[in-house]
Amino acid sequence: MDYLLHVLVMLCLYVILASSFNLLIGFAGLFALSHAAFYALGAYATAIVATSLGLPFPLPLIVAVAFTAAMSVLIAVPALRVSGHYLVVVSLALQIIVIEVILNWTSLTGGTDGISGVPAYSIGGWRLDSPGRFLIAAGLGAAVCFWVCWRLAHSPFGRALRAMRENEDAAEAVGKNILYMKVTVFAFSAGLAAVAGTLFARYYTYVGAQSFTIDETIYILAMVILGGTANLWGSVLGAAILVFLPELLKFVELPVDIADKLRLVIYGLILILILRFRPEGLLPEPKGARAMFVPVDAERQAADSSDLFAGAQGGAGDVILEGRKLRKTFGGITAVADFSIELRKGRITGLIGPNGAGKTTAFNLLTGFLKPDSGEIVLRGESIGNRKPHELVAAGVARSFQDLRLFTRMTVIENVLVALPRQAGDDIVPVYLRPARVRAEERANTARAMEILRFVELDAKAHETAENLSYAEEKLLVVARLLATGAEVLLFDEPMSGLDRTTLEEVFPVIRRLAENGKVVCIIEHNLDVIKELCDVVYFLDEGRALAVGTPDELMNDPELATRYFK
Amino acid sequence: MDLLLQLFVNGVINGSHYALLGIGFGLIFATTRIVHFAYGPIFTFAAYVGWYVAGSLGLPVWLGLLAAIAGGLGLGLLSYVAVYRPLELRNAPVLVPLIASLGLYIVIENLVGVFFGSGVRVVEDLDYGIYFLGPVFFTSIHVWQIVSLVVVGGALWSFLRLTRYGKAILAMTDDPEMARVIGIDTFRIALLVFAIGSAVSAVPAMLILLKDGASTHMGFAAVFMAFVAVIVGGVGSLKGAAAGGFLLGLVQSLGLWQIPTEWQASIAFVVLYLMILLRPEGLFGVRWR
Amino acid sequence: MKRSILAWLAAGAIAVAGSVQAQEAPKDPEVFKIGAILAMSGKADWYGKVMSAGIQQAVEEINAEGGIDGIMLEAVIEDHKSGVAKEGVSAITRLINLHGVEAVLTSFSPPTLAIAPIADEKGILLLNGGGVSTALVGASKYLFHNRSLASDLGRAAAKRANALGLERMAQLAWKTDAGESVIAAVEPYWAELGGEVVATEFMEVGAPNIDTQIAKMRASNPDWVALWLFSPDPGLAMKKIREFGMDVPVIGIEYTDDIQKVGGRHMEGYEYTSDYFTSSDEYPWSQQFAEGYSERTGADPEFYAANYYEAVYVVAEAIRRARAEGGDYWDGARLAEMIRANPVFDSVYGGEMTFQENGVAKKRVALFRIEDGASTFLDYITPD
Repeated sequence: MDYLLHVLVMLCLYVILASSFNLLIGFAGLFALSHAAFYALGAYATAIVATSLGLPFPLPLIVAVAFTAAMSVLIAVPALRVSGHYLVVVSLALQIIVIEVILNWTSLTGGTDGISGVPAYSIGGWRLDSPGRFLIAAGLGAAVCFWVCWRLAHSPFGRALRAMRENEDAAEAVGKNILYMKVTVFAFSAGLAAVAGTLFARYYTYVGAQSFTIDETIYILAMVILGGTANLWGSVLGAAILVFLPELLKFVELPVDIADKLRLVIYGLILILILRFRPEGLLPEPKGARAMFVPVDAERQAADSSDLFAGAQGGAGDVILEGRKLRKTFGGITAVADFSIELRKGRITGLIGPNGAGKTTAFNLLTGFLKPDSGEIVLRGESIGNRKPHELVAAGVARSFQDLRLFTRMTVIENVLVALPRQAGDDIVPVYLRPARVRAEERANTARAMEILRFVELDAKAHETAENLSYAEEKLLVVARLLATGAEVLLFDEPMSGLDRTTLEEVFPVIRRLAENGKVVCIIEHNLDVIKELCDVVYFLDEGRALAVGTPDELMNDPELATRYFK
Repeated sequence: MDLLLQLFVNGVINGSHYALLGIGFGLIFATTRIVHFAYGPIFTFAAYVGWYVAGSLGLPVWLGLLAAIAGGLGLGLLSYVAVYRPLELRNAPVLVPLIASLGLYIVIENLVGVFFGSGVRVVEDLDYGIYFLGPVFFTSIHVWQIVSLVVVGGALWSFLRLTRYGKAILAMTDDPEMARVIGIDTFRIALLVFAIGSAVSAVPAMLILLKDGASTHMGFAAVFMAFVAVIVGGVGSLKGAAAGGFLLGLVQSLGLWQIPTEWQASIAFVVLYLMILLRPEGLFGVRWR
Repeated sequence: MKRSILAWLAAGAIAVAGSVQAQEAPKDPEVFKIGAILAMSGKADWYGKVMSAGIQQAVEEINAEGGIDGIMLEAVIEDHKSGVAKEGVSAITRLINLHGVEAVLTSFSPPTLAIAPIADEKGILLLNGGGVSTALVGASKYLFHNRSLASDLGRAAAKRANALGLERMAQLAWKTDAGESVIAAVEPYWAELGGEVVATEFMEVGAPNIDTQIAKMRASNPDWVALWLFSPDPGLAMKKIREFGMDVPVIGIEYTDDIQKVGGRHMEGYEYTSDYFTSSDEYPWSQQFAEGYSERTGADPEFYAANYYEAVYVVAEAIRRARAEGGDYWDGARLAEMIRANPVFDSVYGGEMTFQENGVAKKRVALFRIEDGASTFLDYITPD
């Protein structure tokens, strides 16, 4: 009986580890393979605080979680500058370094001997020293940790994490603070791993570095992938399978000397086979309406979206955003030189010019994605050259991308929802401390998102996954997402390219209406018909300079430009 | 000073071992984008095949090498066809082949243990030269480690630049989609790189067998160092993988000049950590040129 | 069936004996299941292979003789994946709950340290015949070791070096509890003997490359090299030391077939201290073990196989003694009591061994030297 209870205790520990790792890997898309190192830090911190310092529960737990979360931030911040395979290798390096420091810092950690005699939990003299009794603590810990993960994943913050996973720049372009999100999710993931660590120390009453090697990280990773990334129930299922399977295999009778190796062979084969037939994991990421956090009836509510469609106060024609003598070079190549531009309220400004003229670079400068080498960017009379993209979105400047950069594995409505401004749930504190407010806001936001989708006529596809949209629909979603930011200045990078005439006719009024409502609109465009149809003023760029400024007609009648560009 | 010289030479020798491993791993990785962890136990398997022929049957060492190459190559092809290809066909997310690869790792490593038994395998009574150049010591096996890098690396370099298949590999490394569009059979190219990459790994495997002996768990360090060498050097660069390997070897050796050897496992990683932060694109973030 | 009849008989016997102050009849289990938690997979699976072979051999021998008072012995082998603590705990819970074992043969420090509290709690006899690091001594009141402390072997090696008139020691140790506990014990002892430590290097278990360590030891210009390593790494170290052109004496604390294979001709002249094991005509039991082992495995008997073989006999003897006292004797705590009450047991190494107060068996430590590819006994050696 104790045996089964022991396995259940193990399951509780791995549920914590797998679901917290899933936050990092599945939701945030941060492939940092150092989870077992944080597990170790939690276990060792508990062991040291409880034995050497002799502090009573819950102090060791608090110290373990706080210390591990703090350490993770300290070491993760530099590591998070890199992504993809580099992050994999840097975090593997981290994993190895942490374990080696533990092994070599003998005076504190007991070195290769580890630390024995960690006191077991006891409640008024009732010691949790058998698997059955400990299961109470482990089950409670797992439930609380799972709830913490669940709350995080099913909040606007969690949605922003998935947006960041899909495309970091695009998430930043809809106003998300990438660094804050990465650091927070890293600290949460590590802190929760530390809870598993503290349970480990209390259950085994012994900690040794052998239990926290890369193998352990890989074991937890396999649970996450097998169960399904970005699905917390998947992590529970993955943990259950990988905890029970090896135990079940013990009941397979095999020749003694090779039995355990053969069991591992079977284990590996089962892993491969499951992945072969369920490549998305056993429980894939929720899709469609199931991805929503509030009941879909919220979508039918009336919404107050006026602030999203209208510009801020001020008269038409006022200069809102201005770039002065901007200059940007990339290793000797000048992309933008002495470029000045004024974007006015209620007007549609066009940027045209040959490929490589510096149009997109100019966009990047105006929206904070690049810093100018010299020159100034002024928003409503205030210099904003040093602000980050997400700060600019909050201040009212947002942009789209030529290559769309939709959050492809999220639904249409989620793409819009994530872009809505000033969400309390983007901050981690209200997610836990003011859940009612976050929920009420989420309902209101759902209605607003639906209204925007109706505006671009995508409301029928609200729960479609973005990657399943047609090209024209994708373009419309880009517009919707940009609108959702509520920014006053909207910069569209080639919003019309690749659309046929009929679709163009549908998009034109959308953009015109934005300007009429007082938005500041700027578009990069190649299609002269579009320019003629839409723009009030056009900048012609070549080799990083504005060669000419004027109305579309003025520029097209310029004989010099005509020979160079308009053929 | 003598010590530093010796450590430098050790570093160069180990570096060429890592470089060769990195080249094989990197070729597969850059071309197919599969993080092929099972490269490690395939390396081990090749060494055991080599041992079986040269050590157990007592045949000449060069025959052992050929058998090792054949063994590695066969298992490499099998792993692609049996494990990765079906996943590709089902459009599995990028992480899935990685986990499947870990599963394959466990399977192969333990099967090697089952078939060949546990414990270290050595080719006994092997005679090889031991040389002293002033205070610096090396053996003829060490020389072979460097020579093999030059020969295999050079051959691969020419193959990639001069032959039709080589150019197809480069095209696929640059852009698999585009390669498909211009009519390259990406399945055949993937088979080819798995064959070449696995065959390349058999060479350092055989040399390690002769130098230190083979054990069933040695694949982990091999694939790990290869992976790191590739990332450090820059994915998609033959020169980069080799440079990354040398850097690892030298840091691991020279770094311990003043630092106690108990830090051997992590010293290379501290440097790696700092280096990636300073230069995230790797030493040579370019193509297989 | 057999069990229930026996139980019924036992119950009857007790009822009859009742008020009579006679000895309780023994409550026999159907079979004596002995657990073993070994490195059956992972980096150190060689140990699991030889240890389990020794255990199986002992069990079969005892059963062929009719078991213990007619009750058969059965060994249940579990895996701790080469020293992972949580695997050890899973294994012992399985052994206790699914198999009802009362005695467990264990190995490696981390799993042994992790199962020690469980053994204390459940009253399970633990017997360890592998490397004994100081951290293991006294970890559980039911834990015994039929192998000398690694630190004692190390000190014996140091004493030998001193006797040879050597002064400058360079040491190469495993980065494990066993390696570190030898260093901790030897360094003060060596200083006491007037020696000097000129280099201390560490290597990972089964490290692929130790050239750096050897180069640093050579640069420290020692009189002798101490190898605080275990199988097969002394072979690799010896080979590298000689290849690097160092011809100073090398003294270690272990020698096995694998070490000889890896080191090859470079092993010549290697000296080591060890619990004495060599089969000879003088000791028929050691010869019986050696022949049986060779027959089973086709290999020469390994030191570790001998230890675990012997451990099974120790457990069997403890059971026999406990059963003689009757009652509910199939109980780890009772078995441990038997060992403490009379700590002298036959040793497969010849003669007897005595479990000391701290649970560690006192065995003769002997010095050997490799001559012509074979281990030759030189002398017994006792560190002060």
